[in-house]
Amino acid sequence: MTLQQQIRSNRLRSTIVVAGFALLLLLVAGLIGLAFDLSLGALALGAAALYGVFALLRSRRMISGFTRAQELAPGELVPLRRLVENVSIAAGLPVTPEVRIVDDPAPNAFAAGLRPQSSYVGVTTGLLRVMPKRELEAVLAHEISHVRNRDTYLMTMATVFAGVIALVADIGFRTLAYGGRSRKAGALVGLLALVGLLLAPYAALLLRMSLSRRREFLADAGAAELLNDPEAMALALRRLELDTTTIRYAEATTAHLWVESPTERVGAEGSGILEFSSWFNTHPPMRSRIAALEEAGGFRLPERLAPGEPFAAELSLAG
Amino acid sequence: MPWLWILVGALVVLVLVAVYGYNRLVRLRNEVGTGWANIDVQLQRRADLIPNLVEAVRAYAAHERGVFEEVTRARAALQRAASPGSAAAANEGLTAALGGLFAVAEAYPELRASENFLRLQGDLTDTEDKISAARRYYNATVMHFNTAVQSVPWLLLARPFGFHEREFFSADGDTAPPDVSFAS
Repeated sequence: MTLQQQIRSNRLRSTIVVAGFALLLLLVAGLIGLAFDLSLGALALGAAALYGVFALLRSRRMISGFTRAQELAPGELVPLRRLVENVSIAAGLPVTPEVRIVDDPAPNAFAAGLRPQSSYVGVTTGLLRVMPKRELEAVLAHEISHVRNRDTYLMTMATVFAGVIALVADIGFRTLAYGGRSRKAGALVGLLALVGLLLAPYAALLLRMSLSRRREFLADAGAAELLNDPEAMALALRRLELDTTTIRYAEATTAHLWVESPTERVGAEGSGILEFSSWFNTHPPMRSRIAALEEAGGFRLPERLAPGEPFAAELSLAG
Repeated sequence: MPWLWILVGALVVLVLVAVYGYNRLVRLRNEVGTGWANIDVQLQRRADLIPNLVEAVRAYAAHERGVFEEVTRARAALQRAASPGSAAAANEGLTAALGGLFAVAEAYPELRASENFLRLQGDLTDTEDKISAARRYYNATVMHFNTAVQSVPWLLLARPFGFHEREFFSADGDTAPPDVSFAS
């Protein structure tokens, strides 16, 4: 499958997933309507729509707040900006996304924004201190691929949708648990609604993951293509895998935005409960991502990584 | 008369396919145009840096006239180049000429330490990186456009409507970018 076909099929899947979100939302509202009365369901739907629009309008700032990304001053970190600029040119983006810095020792990066024109790429100081230039460029190319493939758009939408569903289910669940006055349904319907409302947020979570997991492979492939260097991306992933620092301010709400899942550590390939947790993992395991790159590029990564000079040295960042 | 309706239906489908194909070709051609504009901007930026760079070196090594003339000639050739292929060749010529200039600069430690020279050198490296990034995008768009123009059925539309293959930005003719394919 070529990259273009992959992008197309991915876009189709995304449409289906977004439609799934909408259906789920309707289902939750329907359950509320069933358990209490129709007007409460409609009210919940209306509140959800309002909250959704508000969240979309504020999403840029919200994500920036969750991840604690700082804007750069005009003359700051010019070499880093140049790298982002180069990758954006290679991706054919109309505008170079802004660069923001997260002061965190864990190496990681993310992209956010509804449109390529208003997107930005967030990079942790840890990433700059760990990655050599070639691998840093691959990580940036991965994020720019997310922007180009409109993943950032979909992921932002998914975040907002998941939040909306959680909110509506929460309202319904609370009303149910603490006995709403307008309750008129039988015990069976009440139980059904209870189970449905309890499960809805997890279903939303699963939907969101299905968006993100495939996209990681696609963004890896995109980065390999942009730089014409699949090995750089694989090396960067291996370096991230070997690093064990976790993001300090990791929040479950934005986990799917990062290049490496910040909330769960590697080794989710075990069995039993771990197997289950890998389902909920926002990112596919590093090993399968590296293996996909090795297959596409026709190379094998060495077991041990050669130490490289971190890019931070070029930025005169204290390391 | 069912056959008439079948005929009309087939014609409508044909027209719809043709409209889709034409729009697709236009979109791909516009992408090639954007890709070329990206390269052109960076080539122009590179050419604009040259006079200052030559002046900076001349201030220390005024007698190296042959090198300066060669660089100036290569720059003029780059600005004259009309097609992607010739621009790529001229760009490589400029790289070679600049190699001579930097070899001269090596002999003057004061020049190499001067802030002006270092900044120009940094800007030049940055521009070269950007040219190579823009080339990757441009060549990818050319490959998509050319594939569309050469393949059936769009081939039948491309010729009459004047969509012709574009040249890659490459000094040695046609180098298609590698197609990174991925199993899902």
